[in-house]
Amino acid sequence: MILGIETSCDETAAAVVTDDGNVLSSVVSSQADLHARYGGVVPEIASRRHLELVAPVVREALAEADTSINGVGRVAVTRGPGLVGALLVGLSVAKALAWARRLPLVPVDHLEGHVASLYLEPDPLEPPFLCLLASGGHTLLLAVRERGSSERLGTTLDDAAGEAFDKGARLLGLGYPGGAEIDRLAREGDPHAFPFPVARVPGLDFSFSGLKTALLYAVRDLDEGEVERRRADLAASYQRAIVEALVGRAREAAGRTGLERIAVVGGVAANSGIREALPEARFAPLALCTDNAAMIGSAARFTAALPYPSYLGLDAYASFA
Amino acid sequence: MVTLAFDTATDVATSALVGDGEVLGERVSPPRALFEDVDALLRDAGLEPADLDALVVGTGPGSFTGTRIGLAAARGLALALDLRVAGVSTLDALAAARPDAFPVVDARRGEVFVAGPRAVAPDDLELDPGTVCVGSGAVRYRHTLERLGARVPSDDDPVHVPSARLHAALAGDFGPVDDLLPIYVRAPDARARSGV
Ligand SMILES: [Zn+2]
Repeated sequence: MILGIETSCDETAAAVVTDDGNVLSSVVSSQADLHARYGGVVPEIASRRHLELVAPVVREALAEADTSINGVGRVAVTRGPGLVGALLVGLSVAKALAWARRLPLVPVDHLEGHVASLYLEPDPLEPPFLCLLASGGHTLLLAVRERGSSERLGTTLDDAAGEAFDKGARLLGLGYPGGAEIDRLAREGDPHAFPFPVARVPGLDFSFSGLKTALLYAVRDLDEGEVERRRADLAASYQRAIVEALVGRAREAAGRTGLERIAVVGGVAANSGIREALPEARFAPLALCTDNAAMIGSAARFTAALPYPSYLGLDAYASFA
Repeated sequence: MVTLAFDTATDVATSALVGDGEVLGERVSPPRALFEDVDALLRDAGLEPADLDALVVGTGPGSFTGTRIGLAAARGLALALDLRVAGVSTLDALAAARPDAFPVVDARRGEVFVAGPRAVAPDDLELDPGTVCVGSGAVRYRHTLERLGARVPSDDDPVHVPSARLHAALAGDFGPVDDLLPIYVRAPDARARSGV
């Protein structure tokens, strides 16, 4: 069994995954309400919370899987990218657990973790496929030809898609995290009420900063009562523009690479707009869209394990290599 | 009774292995080498992790990230080995280095951590003449402290490092690891960062 630990951003998570990809437990303690009043993740607050939560979360994951540390064969942990202070909490716990039991440690790349959310039972996806990873931190198009690795085809030049949702939600006076709020409100609105632009940048990259500015101007041009009345239209149009950008580029990338299947992972994969706009695509299971440790355990199945003691000096990394 | 003690709150990681009051080994390294040091301590003593009976950890104040590395390690060790844990303040460990020591830990942003614990600008410290200042803050602000009438031992004097053998000696009550929390002194810098 693999014990997975994830602390790269604002979810403290632990999970137990079997070697053949069954999730025996997946515990996620979200800090979202702690960061809500700041409209985004505050690194030091996140790191402090991780330290308080990590031991209870690991204990709960082991208990829910009806096992103990004795039943664990490998410890998997997110090494990066993410907030270094936050990553170091999980990495330090993982090293200690592995060292104490002379277990191998599997350092997992967070982005490969998101992709590996597709490899879990009961319906694992086989490569090759084109993967759109869209979350609060990342917007990536990946060519996945085999499990455990991927080729980066495009990324965002400014804001991540999930970040665009958060910033849009703030402009509309909605809560944090913004994706779920906009999604909910968008269902009552007209997605074509406002002609928000879909940015055109060269290659297979994304840009969302212009869209955010367009929303800002639209809100500024309306008086307060009108913003209130048309909030659902604004949300629906804003979401439509983000989804169009993501879907357009994903199909374009699939066409260029000859990869027939499209898969979507990351927090934005939970958005109902993108699920409707890409009916042919595979989506990460809803519970595994936002950060979790089951996906880290899953990725560990396809990542080289470091035997004791080679991992003792392992460090975290903030941005992707 | 075998006790493992370590402190990662300052710019060094100190660790010590103590068996029935006798120091079996001690190490000082950069903070991120903590696990290599702990591993070496046990290997040199011919012990296995399962031979550990207790854990003593420095709880700061010092670097937030550094302190957490040690406290997170303690959580993993306590979970895996079912150990009880005691926390010892990094200032207390420094104070135990010599009877007249006044610990001054570098708090960055032009401040130091001192007994209280509190963060204060070195210039604002009121020190009795001849006070012996020890710790990373004493080394960094040597000139200021000496101007205020304090004495600061030479930079390479081991009193400036919170020696983990002192943590082991100072440990009071042992309890569950969840109760072991860092001494931050400062509130978090509450600025959201997006794009993570
Ligand atoms: Zn993520």
